Order: sequence, then C-alpha cells, then structure tokens
Amino acid sequence: MGVSWLLAWRNLWRHRRRTWLTVGAMVFCNILLIFLVSLQLGSYQMMIDGSLAAFTGHIQIQQRDYLDEQHMYQSVPGAVELAARVRTALGVESVAARAEAFALASSAERSFGVLLTGVQPAYEPLVSTFPGKLREGRYLRDGNAQEIVIGAVLAQNLKVGPGDELTFLGSGRDGSFAAGVATVVGILDTGLPDVDRSMAQLPLGWFRQVFAMGDEGHSVVIRVPALDEVGGALSELRAMLLARKELAVLDWDTLMPGLRQAITSDMAGAWFQYGVLVILVAFSVLNTQLMSVLERTREFGVMMALGMSPLRLAQLVGMETLLLAVLGLALGLLGGSLLTWYLSYAGFTYPGVEEMMQRFMLGGRLYPQISATSLLSGPLAVFAGALLAALYPALRLFRLEPVAAMRTA
Amino acid sequence: MAFPVAAISTLAWRNLWRNHRRTLIMLLAITVGVWAMIFMASLMRGMTDQMVRNGLQTLPGEVQIHQRDYLRDPSVVNSMDAPGGALLARLQEAPVAAWAGRVRVPAVIASERGNRGVTLLGIDPVAEAALGSLPDELVAGRALDGPGDRGLVIGANLARRLETAVGKRVVIMSQDTQNNVAERGARVVGIYRARLQGSEDRYVYAGRAAVQDLLGIGERISEIAVTGHDYRNVAPWVPRIAAAAGTGLEVLPWTELDTFLGSMLVVQDGFALVFMVVVFLALSFGLVNTLVMAVFERVREIGLMQALGMRPGMILGQIMLESLYLLLLGLALGNLLALVTVKPLESGIDISSVAQGMEMVGMGTTLYPVLHTADMLMSTTVVIVLGLLASLAPAWRASRLDPVAALNKT
Amino acid sequence: MTDISCRNLCKTFHQGDATIRALDDVSLDIEEGSFVCLSGPSGSGKTTLLNALGGLDTPDSGEITVGGQRLDLLSKSELAQLRLNRIGFVFQAYNLVPVLSARENVEFIMQVQGVRARERRSLAAAVLAEVGLEDMEERRPAQLSGGQQQRVAVARAIASKPALVLADEPTANLDSRSAAQLMDLFVTLNTERGVTFVISTHDPRVMGYAGRLISMRDGRIVADERQQPHAMAV
Repeated sequence: MGVSWLLAWRNLWRHRRRTWLTVGAMVFCNILLIFLVSLQLGSYQMMIDGSLAAFTGHIQIQQRDYLDEQHMYQSVPGAVELAARVRTALGVESVAARAEAFALASSAERSFGVLLTGVQPAYEPLVSTFPGKLREGRYLRDGNAQEIVIGAVLAQNLKVGPGDELTFLGSGRDGSFAAGVATVVGILDTGLPDVDRSMAQLPLGWFRQVFAMGDEGHSVVIRVPALDEVGGALSELRAMLLARKELAVLDWDTLMPGLRQAITSDMAGAWFQYGVLVILVAFSVLNTQLMSVLERTREFGVMMALGMSPLRLAQLVGMETLLLAVLGLALGLLGGSLLTWYLSYAGFTYPGVEEMMQRFMLGGRLYPQISATSLLSGPLAVFAGALLAALYPALRLFRLEPVAAMRTA
Repeated sequence: MAFPVAAISTLAWRNLWRNHRRTLIMLLAITVGVWAMIFMASLMRGMTDQMVRNGLQTLPGEVQIHQRDYLRDPSVVNSMDAPGGALLARLQEAPVAAWAGRVRVPAVIASERGNRGVTLLGIDPVAEAALGSLPDELVAGRALDGPGDRGLVIGANLARRLETAVGKRVVIMSQDTQNNVAERGARVVGIYRARLQGSEDRYVYAGRAAVQDLLGIGERISEIAVTGHDYRNVAPWVPRIAAAAGTGLEVLPWTELDTFLGSMLVVQDGFALVFMVVVFLALSFGLVNTLVMAVFERVREIGLMQALGMRPGMILGQIMLESLYLLLLGLALGNLLALVTVKPLESGIDISSVAQGMEMVGMGTTLYPVLHTADMLMSTTVVIVLGLLASLAPAWRASRLDPVAALNKT
Repeated sequence: MTDISCRNLCKTFHQGDATIRALDDVSLDIEEGSFVCLSGPSGSGKTTLLNALGGLDTPDSGEITVGGQRLDLLSKSELAQLRLNRIGFVFQAYNLVPVLSARENVEFIMQVQGVRARERRSLAAAVLAEVGLEDMEERRPAQLSGGQQQRVAVARAIASKPALVLADEPTANLDSRSAAQLMDLFVTLNTERGVTFVISTHDPRVMGYAGRLISMRDGRIVADERQQPHAMAV
C-alpha cells in the first residue's frame, strides 16, 4: 500500500501549478467558509443573547392566555412569592416579577400613551439590561415609592427630566379608573427608538396599588446563566407548576418567535451561498482530475497491459484526489482558524452593520465565534465535494480499452 | 500594422474547443457561478425592495414635510397649516405623483376590556389611497368614507387585544393644544390587516376633520407625505420642495426619516457586490487552471507562432481572447438560466413560516425576487473585469515563452 | 550584397555539470539567393545557428546582420516583425497550427501581415496548388501525411514572400519520395524567386541539392565548400 500512496503523491506533483491552483481553490473556500460560518453562528449567539438579555429573559411564567391576548385580568396570583420560590428552586438570583399596563402619561405640557411596567427594583437589573442604560438620574430603589424611570425619547417628548412629575391615567385590573402621580427619577437610553419612545418603569408594589392588582403580577421573568441551561430550568419549572393549570412556562422561542425565524431565514440564504461555493470548488477538482486522467490515457493503457485492473487504477485516482483534498482541508483549516481566531478577538465592522445590529440590541462590531461546528462543517463539505467530483474521472477508467489507450498520443 | 483580430479570434475560438470536456466543465462552473450571483442578487433585491416599500408605506411617502420641531416633539402643538401657495403648486406638479396632509398624534385607545397607546392618524382617504399608504386589506366593516368620517378603522391585532369589534364603541384620548386630555367616544367602523403586525397594533385611522375637531386645531395638520413612486430617485426633487416650503417647515427624504431603511439599501447593494466577487474568486482558480493547462499543452505551438513572426502581444491577445470567449459564453448561459429561474418566482415565494422573523427586519410574508438589469450588468462586469485580470498571468507567461525552448518541447 | 553575415558567434549551454559549446566563434557570410546546407552530426550546432539567424535565439557574443539589420539591436517585437515579413521557418515536424486547415494555415501569416481577404484567398489557393495540394485545402493537419504537412509549411513560407527560408531538418521524418518532392520545391523557389535557403540536415541526399555545403562539428565550421548542385535520385 505504501508504494501506491507514494505513486499517488508523486503523480499529484507532475503538474505543480495545476495542483496548487486546485488546492488553492479549496483553501480559499475553506477559509471563507470557516470565517462565514463562525461569523454567522457568532452573530446568532449575539442576537439571541442581546435580544433576550435586554428585557425578555430566557423563560417567563405567565397566565396561559396572556402572551396572546395581553388583557390586564390575565394575571399571575402571588407573582412576587412565586418569583421567590423559583429563585430557590433553580438556585439563581436573576428572577423578577413584573406587571404591565398601558396608560396615558401626561407632563405639564404633553401627553403620550406609554407601556408601564411594574418591576421589582432589587431584581429587575438582574434579568434585564435596560436598568443599566441609565442616562440621567438613578434607577428605582424602593418597591413602593411613587417613582418612575422613562425612556429617553419619551422624556424628550414629554419635556420632562429627573425631578419632574408625571401623571398617568389608565384602567385597573378590574376595569376601574386608575390614576397616579409619580416623580421621574431616571431616564433610560437603550438606543432602540421604539423602546425609548414608550418605556416607563415603576416599582411593582406601588403599580399594584394604582392598578388594583392585589398581589397579582403579569409575569415572572427568569434569566439563566447560559442558553443551554434553558431546557433543564424549563422542565424543572413545569414540574413545579404542574398543579397550576392556569399558568404557562414559556421559553424564549415562544416569547420571541421572530428571533429563531430571523435566524432560520438568514440560514437559508447562507446555506445557498455556501452551497454555491462548494459546488464551484467541486467543479475545479473535477476539471483537474479529469485532465489528469485524460492526459495519462496512454500511461494507463500500458499499466492495464501490464496487468493492472481498472479498479486499481481508479483506486490510484481516488488516492490522488484524497491527498489533494486532505491538503486543501489541512491548509484551509489552518488558514481559516488563524484568521477567524484573530477576528474573534479583534472583531471587525462593515459599513451599515451598526444600524442593522441595533435591531437585535447589539453593538457595532462583529465577532466571529469559533467552535467545532464552525471550523469543520465548511471544510468537510468541500472535502466531500472534492471526493464526489473525482467519481466521474475515476469511473471513466473502467471504459478504457488498453490497446486503444496505448495508441493515444 | 493593425492587430490581426480576425486571425487571432478564429484561433482562440478553435483552441477553446480542442479540449471540449475541460471547456464544458469550466463553462458549467461559470454558468452556475453567474446564475448564483444573479439569483442571490434578485432575492436580496426583492427583500430590500420590499423592506423599503413596507417601510415607505408605514412612513408613509418618500418625502415628508413637518413643522420644524415636530420630529423632535411629535405633539399636536407642532402642527402646520394645510399647504398653500408655492408649496401647493410644487405638490401638484411632476415628479410628485401624490401627496396627503395628515394629522398624526399619539393617543390612547380604550375599550371596556383594555387600553393601548397608539398613533392616531387623521386622514383624507382619497389622498391616502393615491399615496398608497392605506392598509392592504380590510377584514371587517368598511373603509373611511371621507375626511369627515367620525368612525375609526383599527388593526385586527389591536381589535383582538381590546376585545372590540366593528360597531362597538371605544374611547380615544389625546392631548389638545392646551395640554388638556381631549377624549371622545367613537365607533369602530372597520378592521384592517397590515403586512406588518406591528403596524396593526400601532395605527388607528380616523377622518382628518374629525380628529382636527377633537384636538381643536382647525384646519392644521401634522405632516405632509409626498411620493414620486420611485424611491431610488428622490434626491433631485427634495430641494425644490424644500425651497417652496420655506424656513418654518422641515422637508426630509425617507433615507433621513428612517436611517435603518436607508442604511439597509446601502448594505444590501454592497453585499450583492461582495457576494459576486467572492463567487468569482472561487471560480477564478478553475479559470486560471484551465488557461494554464491550455498554455502548457500548446507550448510547442506557441514556439512555432513565435518563429512565424507572431509578436508577444498577439500571443497574449490570443489567450486573453480564448478566456473572454469562455467567460462570455458562461455569462450568456448564466444570465439565461437566471432569467428562466427568477422570472417565474417574481410572483412571490411564500415565506410565511418565518414571517415573524422577517418582520423583525421589516419584511412581509411573501418574498418577491426582482431581476434587475443592473444586477445582470454588475455580475457581467465583475466576471469580465476580474476574469480578464485573472487570465493575464497565464497569458503573459505564454507570451514570454522562450521560443527555442518552446520549440524543443516534446 | 551580403544578405546574412555572422561575426564571432559564441553560445554555450549548461547541461548538468557539462558545458556544451553549441557555437564556438562562428563567422559566416551568405549571399542573397544562395542555397546553403549546414551539415554535421547532432549536437554540432546546426540548429542553434539556424535559430540565431532567425532571431529566435540570442548568441552569448558576436553579431548577426540579416538584410542590413543588426539582430542584437532589435527588440522582441521587431524580431517577430522581421520573421513575419522576411524569414520563413520550416521545421522537422509540427509545423502547422493544428486547429487550422491547410488553407487557413497558409492564410494565417498573411492575415497577420495584414493582407486583404480576397488577395489572401487567391494567393493561398495558388501556392497550395503550386505545392500540389489543391484538393486538400480544407483538411486539418491531423488529416495530412507528414510530407503533405511539410508542403503546407512550404506553401505558407512562399505565401508570405520571405527573402530567407530557414529549414531545420525538413526531410527527417519523410520517405524518399516526399523528401525529393520537398527539395524540388525548395530548388524551384530558390531559382525562380531568388529566395535564400539555409537548410540544416545530415541527410546526404539533401546536401546534394546545395550550391554551398558547410560542415559543422562541436560548434565550429570545419568545412565550407561550393559545389555543383544535383538532384537526388528517387
């Protein structure tokens, strides 16, 4: 077998330039695929983390119809106590109860419709990044204080700043008239125009008083340390709440169906692009191997006359292709991982990316993420494509007539 | 002496088909590459186009006129008079295709089962229809019948959240010019479905005069939306409108009103080019390989040509021409393939399975690929320019062969 | 008037450790219209001298003048131009462009020279008839015998109206009959059109045709005799 491999290796270098060009095509594609797949998976990870960390969290416990209908009366009884129980059960601190209501907020000069969220000041910063986006003033402290923090655009529209008073009018859980006056203590600037235009947070205790919520809330928001812990936490919570049929434990995919779909649709486009690259490389290999078989017709004729079976010759061509593909794989992996490894630290940007990334609550720089999947999936596809491409040239050998072949110039 | 194009082109063409298998494989590769370039570009073009169109439908218009402070402070206080004089004259002449004056104020809508913050639009249905900004589909009830209509048309999603229906009463609250809460009961007369679910939650349509009446602003409006029905070509006429509008008003094109949409267009255009170049680079290895082999097999012949008196330039030209033929054939086939595959898809591809994801980037449930001549031209340019550049190296080597060594090669 | 003159040509090749002197201080004058044979064993420097005379190869030292032009002063393009218009080459084999038919091979050089299509066509037909290939105009080289291929090469040389034809072992791959036909053609061209011929060969039958016989060995001219030409016996 050793001699066969040596022969295959030597044959490969009969046309150095051609071999290098073919290996070059594979290496180019491999580097590109490693980079693109890493970037893609990296940005999905960032999209998921960014979007969920902002406000939604990984898991929420809600009344079972609230997600669809969002009526105030579809609430979770004893939300604060439930949050505390979840904290102990899961062993994580980042669990917070919330309540929500729409209201007309009025300052001395202006009125706007806003989405009021009642939050637990102690726990909210653990489940959401919004409290950290403080531009002015401070975040909420006391669970029962008559205080409010609002989005930057809303503050501008209402012409208020820290210290000013804000009146809000809405209806309570029972449909009764609800009104309150709160002092603005902080302005949040999330960078998301839609959020900054309508967000307003006030302490849950006082919120419940104003909106006649009793001890009810609308959701318990849970953020687990890592995305892959969601599944475990989910089953634990479902087991814990088995008896409470009116509640639903929802994962992020249900809470933000757009996110996974955005990823799915983006992937479909990406696979098309990757597929094209792999096919083009396969053509390159097909061309090279077909040429190398055709130009050796005479030589193969002689070898067959000497008693080599077409199978052995096809094996030889297969081995040559394998060596070629391994070379492309090795160099591509090396180049691709070095480039991607560098960029995963340094990051890079592309004009216009910043605006697009803001939609998913991300910063302006892209960081590819290296993993076994991102390193191997592209190069292995190229490898497989190359081997497949050599099938046709190898199969041609079975049609070779030794005498006619030897007569070929 | 002129460059003997005819002599060389015959030679290049025949040489191309000497190794027809190799040429066919390369031709197939170029065809697939070119097809992929155009196909991808038309998908992206369709996506961008739809995002922009959807964006412009909700914006609405390609150009908007507001009172100077309105965008920073979208309150009823910052309203303006209905257009007149020079501005009205400008709005009534080409390239403006349609325009509408509208009242646009933040409001709260409440039913007995709930309330929501919304944007209340006081419109003239006829003008809005010309603008193309009305919701696509009315699922219940009727449309507004004029600026004086006192009913409301609300989104299906909002109706569900408020548990209201056609014929039921709701209360609409907004701020009047004195910052008092103006509130009025109104009947829901129609329910619409929009391409973007977010719009359904956000926009409530009412007759313009009815809203003006509610807010006590007389004939004043919040914004004028203007369209020329060609969003890529707005820059030339914006300054003319601005000049007619005068200093009290602000005239902005959509690219500045919605910077996300504007940057989207730039990113997608740039991405199409990057994709084309990347595909070409993947192709170029095969192309160079083919030419290197073609030269390698013909070294002796090239020596003969040199002995016969062919100048190096002619040999270079001959190889380049051979490459050009290959590229042109591939381009023709690739473009043809793109034409027959994209044209049937232009009626739309159903992507409703990922609809909410697409909505995050401003898309609807159907993707309409668009075959643009510009993309076909762009791919052609990329392939020809880069293709000839890539061919230069082997062609140059061929023209620099040492004739004696070439002739002695067996 | 002297058509070709060489002064002190030297050229060495390196093959492994060995140094081969292909041309060793060769000086030579060839008058316009002469019919010269270069003879000698392989490796004696015949081909190198022919290539140098045609401007295909550059000697290490010495100078060559062809038709009053110093070859060492010309650029690659100017050398090509000179070959195109004044010098015809006939090689031992593979003289033709394989993708072109006999007629196209003849027309090709004229096309590069810039001769008009109509003129080209009639001239190509005439010269192919002259070399006895009037029925084979549309055949590709692969469909022609070795002798026929060499005759197409000669037809091409005639059509471009060269003043000098350099032929390197033109009969080496031909049977006697074809070789005689080819040599007869050369003689006709030499006497009727005054074309200068320099032919390298080690075929004694070919040497007989020459008016001047130059013998080479180890890159040197060892004999230079004028003789009465005589046709070969078939």
